[in-house]
Amino acid sequence: MLWEVLTHALNIKWYLLPPPSMILGSIFQNFSSLMESMLVTLKVTLIALSMSVLISVSLAILFYLSKILERSMMPITVVLQVTPIIAIAPLISIWVDSSEMATLICAFLVAFFPLLTNTITGLKSTEKNHLDLMRLYRANKLELMRFVVLPNALPYFLSGLKISTGLALIGAIVGEFVIGPISGHSGLAYRIIESGYQLEIPKMFSSVFLISIMGIVLYNVVRLLSYYILKNWHSSYSHTD
Amino acid sequence: MSLRVLSDSDRRSKLQTDQEKVIAQLHQVSKKYKGAQSNALENIDIDVFQQDFLSILGPSGCGKTTILKMMCGLARPTSGRIEWPTSNFQNSPQNPANLSFVFQEPNLLPWMNVYENIKLPLKILKEDNYRADEKIYEIINLVGLNGFERYYPKQLSGGMSMRVSIARALVTQPKVLLMDEPFSALDENRRFELSQEILKIKKEKNLTVVYVTHSIYESVYLSDRIYVMQSHPGKIFKEFDFAGIEKNEDYRFSSEFFEQVKIVSDSLKGVKFE
Repeated sequence: MLWEVLTHALNIKWYLLPPPSMILGSIFQNFSSLMESMLVTLKVTLIALSMSVLISVSLAILFYLSKILERSMMPITVVLQVTPIIAIAPLISIWVDSSEMATLICAFLVAFFPLLTNTITGLKSTEKNHLDLMRLYRANKLELMRFVVLPNALPYFLSGLKISTGLALIGAIVGEFVIGPISGHSGLAYRIIESGYQLEIPKMFSSVFLISIMGIVLYNVVRLLSYYILKNWHSSYSHTD
Repeated sequence: MSLRVLSDSDRRSKLQTDQEKVIAQLHQVSKKYKGAQSNALENIDIDVFQQDFLSILGPSGCGKTTILKMMCGLARPTSGRIEWPTSNFQNSPQNPANLSFVFQEPNLLPWMNVYENIKLPLKILKEDNYRADEKIYEIINLVGLNGFERYYPKQLSGGMSMRVSIARALVTQPKVLLMDEPFSALDENRRFELSQEILKIKKEKNLTVVYVTHSIYESVYLSDRIYVMQSHPGKIFKEFDFAGIEKNEDYRFSSEFFEQVKIVSDSLKGVKFE
């Protein structure tokens, strides 16, 4: 509201800062093309996120079971994490033919690290008394993982997932900025560039707006998921009966 | 009959007469932790007789818990040996169902509800579901957890959590129950209530209990025999026998009880207690 009033009151040019009404109008005007772009970006984000979950959880379990693997491979993952994605993205687009694949890899690279470190911390923070309990009944490795170690890591994994969801979206946007339209379909990031060239500032804002909305929705989906999984037993959710 | 201090010769004669009742024996067991200067435990001799309620009483940090952990195979003695001579109790660590351990904290898995927590040992021991349910509900009745099956540990009070922990230990129908200061975190009333129930369950199930505590009252109230320990290094320096004393509810407030507490306390003069 304030934004709307101020842009009119201070007579701010619409091509510098369009009022919200104009942005909304632009969303309705370009509804189908923007929705199509949103789906493209959403698809990349979700696939990258699933890949991150699969790979980081498997790696975390491997690292938990083998100290040598952890020591030899952890540094590689750290290097991948600390190098800014914007610097790697052009390389990826050279190495990988398919732009879809290249964007996916970008999003994956940003998203998987928090999941990996959080899951490893979770696996390692198993209480000694719980391990003793399992040893008492001569539980095998599989039972140990299933009954104690994995459930113990779940809250850590889920808090990593909360961070990674946002990062996957960022990775997908950055990837698209650098790499370009994904197999002919432009995602929201490409819409921003496109409307920037065409000086369609309200449309540019509407793409940014939609990206934020997507981020918020995705985050809340994960937050709810985590709530339903943990509400019964984890201390971070206070009990109400 | 009343409380007496057992001398070495008493001990030998008791061993001779009750030879076939010996369920576990610790011979000159010592424990030294890696990097430690001196022994944590030194030359511990303990005899556990069938259907004994045996307490190991000692100050914090004297190695009481380590004794229990060695008995159930969670720790290894540095020297000495632990034997399970009874033929129907062959080599307990290979037969985990025979021996249960109640930890100092309830040590429940927070992601499992009461029912699942109690079921866990049976799952690991590959008990079939039907038999398991029978055993679980029998134990739930026994320890008074009816109606709490679907509760998660964080919804339970300290006393209730301990009941679940005890139920989990009993569900495998063990012959020997090792308890490591199980009630130390509970208030006086809750502690008495649960002690009372442990005595009842012990009687009903013909259990042998080895109970570690630093409370003189608790050990006198519960035990048939008490081993008293000192620390640095952890050593047994006295053994009390309560042969023939009936431990019922009246006993706790009888003058006999307080006299016996005094005798045990007096024997501890010079030993630091916390």
